[in-house]
Amino acid sequence: MTLFALGGCGPSDWLLGAATSKTGTDPAPGDQPDLARHVLDRCTYGARAGDRAALLALGIEPWIDAQLNAGADRATERLLDDFDVLHAPAGEAYEWKPRIVQEEVIRGTLLRAVYSRNQLQEVVASCWRDQFNVGAGKGDVAWLVASYDREVVRAHALGSFHDLLHASATHPAMLWYLDGRSNRREHPNENHARELLELHSLGVDGGYTQHDVMEVARCLSGWTVRGKERFRKGTVEFDPALHDDGEKLVLGMTIPAGLGAGDLDRVITLLAAHPATARRVAQRLCARFIADPPPPAAVAEVADAFTANRGDLRLTVRAVLTCSAFNDPLIRSGKLKRPLHYLASCLRVLDVRTQAEPTLVAALARMGESPYQHPTPEGYPERASAWTGTLWWRWRAAYDLAHAHEVELDPLLVFGRQPTTAEQAAIAATPEPAERRTLLLASPSFQRC
Amino acid sequence: MAVVIVFLRGGADGLALVPPVGEDAYHSLRPLTRLTAGQGLRLDQRFTLHPDLQALVPWWERGELSVIPAAGIPEDSHSHFVAQDWLEHGGDDVAGGWLGRWLQSGERNPLGAVALGPVLPESLRGAPGAVALNDLTELSRPGGEALARQLVALSATDPLLAQPAADVLAVHERLSQLATRTAAPYPDTAFAQDLSRVAGLIHADVGLRVACVDLSGWDSHIAMDTLLTPMRKTLAGGLAAFAGDLGPALRGTSVVVITEFGRRCAENASLGTDHGRAGCAFVLGGGTPGGVVGTWPGLDHLEGPGDLPVGTDLRDVFGAVLSRHGGVDPAVVFPGHQPTAIRV
Repeated sequence: MTLFALGGCGPSDWLLGAATSKTGTDPAPGDQPDLARHVLDRCTYGARAGDRAALLALGIEPWIDAQLNAGADRATERLLDDFDVLHAPAGEAYEWKPRIVQEEVIRGTLLRAVYSRNQLQEVVASCWRDQFNVGAGKGDVAWLVASYDREVVRAHALGSFHDLLHASATHPAMLWYLDGRSNRREHPNENHARELLELHSLGVDGGYTQHDVMEVARCLSGWTVRGKERFRKGTVEFDPALHDDGEKLVLGMTIPAGLGAGDLDRVITLLAAHPATARRVAQRLCARFIADPPPPAAVAEVADAFTANRGDLRLTVRAVLTCSAFNDPLIRSGKLKRPLHYLASCLRVLDVRTQAEPTLVAALARMGESPYQHPTPEGYPERASAWTGTLWWRWRAAYDLAHAHEVELDPLLVFGRQPTTAEQAAIAATPEPAERRTLLLASPSFQRC
Repeated sequence: MAVVIVFLRGGADGLALVPPVGEDAYHSLRPLTRLTAGQGLRLDQRFTLHPDLQALVPWWERGELSVIPAAGIPEDSHSHFVAQDWLEHGGDDVAGGWLGRWLQSGERNPLGAVALGPVLPESLRGAPGAVALNDLTELSRPGGEALARQLVALSATDPLLAQPAADVLAVHERLSQLATRTAAPYPDTAFAQDLSRVAGLIHADVGLRVACVDLSGWDSHIAMDTLLTPMRKTLAGGLAAFAGDLGPALRGTSVVVITEFGRRCAENASLGTDHGRAGCAFVLGGGTPGGVVGTWPGLDHLEGPGDLPVGTDLRDVFGAVLSRHGGVDPAVVFPGHQPTAIRV
């Protein structure tokens, strides 16, 4: 299946020294982006030369299925071989300076966005990075983000939502970030319990009460993280002595006394299967892939698919991409690219060979979307208005990239359609090549997807 | 409306900035390094503004300078790193910086948050679009003016981007006018030059909400007078030049001067002082009421190894200042903190 994932020129082509094929076989686009371009706009970090032709050659649904079922992308992972922290167990990350850990996570995320053949998986992973946000600015999270990104967000991106929820709730980064590590029978800390209900699963209108929060906090008591001063620091362990082992009542379900660590499993299973969770996951995926706010009918349809498939994220995402709202021509180019998407799409359309240099990391930070740098638990916002305030830094990035890379940019590829009269006039009025590239990359159309 | 945070890194000695010469204990704790009566400007019965800070006197007299003589944080490790980190996060194990959390709400601007220096301080962690600058020349226009105009014209029909694109062009135009601004006189110190750049951004009206400026070198374990005299003059000279340059704009600009901790009340054997607890904070401009404010625990009631207890939580100072700059949810900016009202 991997062979079919995203045609055109993956990183292995140039690693092997093959010339990048500037394909001339793309069917000429019309006045509006077609469905193939729409799929590339929403399911990848930007269309490259040849991507649309390859997608059309395979067919849209087969392409989506190939993306959903893709195996490991070894070529891209090889690019990250030297990023040692990305491969290290959680506890070993303490051997690096926290700045290095975060840098490698950010660079790794950018490189995967630019080069991964499994583009859809990377886009879906970014949704979970928002929903299960941890911020590197708090305590040991600074070291633990590498493992969190690998073992929680990316490992389960297209897996089971139950497993994703469970992995997140028991990862040291989350236990640090939401104070679960200090939630004890005698001294309850409700922070993790509340966000588990409000942000990670049911949603704020998901029908839980303050009493449910307190009962979930009791269920989660006793999960701790070994401190920096101890051997095997960063290891998560369940300490029965710190656990409240009495009977609990969560969302109307009795959790009997004496289950110990099993309380957490009960809570996660209950939340993962809850209809409010289905709606919340559907809401997030539809807002990302379809429109923000998403059409209620699409949310309902996707929530049903989530429930019918017991939280199988592969089939849930498939439901998003095959529902009628996704295919509605009116939503095309309706969203603003988020900063990571915008930066990666510039690099992809320019066909840049990058190692995610410090200038790119800085550009992403100035645009405001460095992975794991959002301080508060709700994660980076999806709404476009949150991102327009840093348009200047997008223009700056466009300018810098346009001047650093002397390549011919095809307006049809940049826009995904024929240029409008106004765009044609602007292009004609900007003959200098680097200025013209800046114009194309900074243009409002390329800011959108 | 901008908030300018001046961080005195290294633990500035509050007793050497605004000495409580009206307290007998001050003279016995600092026999060799004390300020004697008659030096400096008496602020009230107790406190004197150190003569090295004389440049600030006009703002004190106009009621635009508030002094919080025993300000600090609950954290008491006496470690520079730990205390700075705590202060910049605004609490114990709190996610992100307090300014970052504040800037997450409210208007976002291309130049909403700026730190003068090579890196962003932790307090700005999470601030959208925050940028570390050494000089305003780093803010050059992306491309020529004609290109910017083309982009604005193309964006004019885009409901999401029309206004942001117009804003970008406006910021460029204002920044380019900066070059022709008649430079107000500033002392020739890096600190004053940093402040002159902040003033430039405020004059250019680019939507600056927060600027962070550091003045490091306050760790006066030995020969404190020799060390602190130039530091104090640099601080006061820079602030006075900045306030003078701003003119009427100072009313909309809050300068908050903070340090991670003050110092031991008793001088040590090297004519210096060791790490302590409460330090002195200042608020200049932005509608601050002026005067000496906050709780003064007194030098007769020291804590630990002889430190001045914290009378005013710096988070309450920040909260009072931010409330004049809009969009404050104290529970978001300082989670877990029970605010105490203070007029500062």
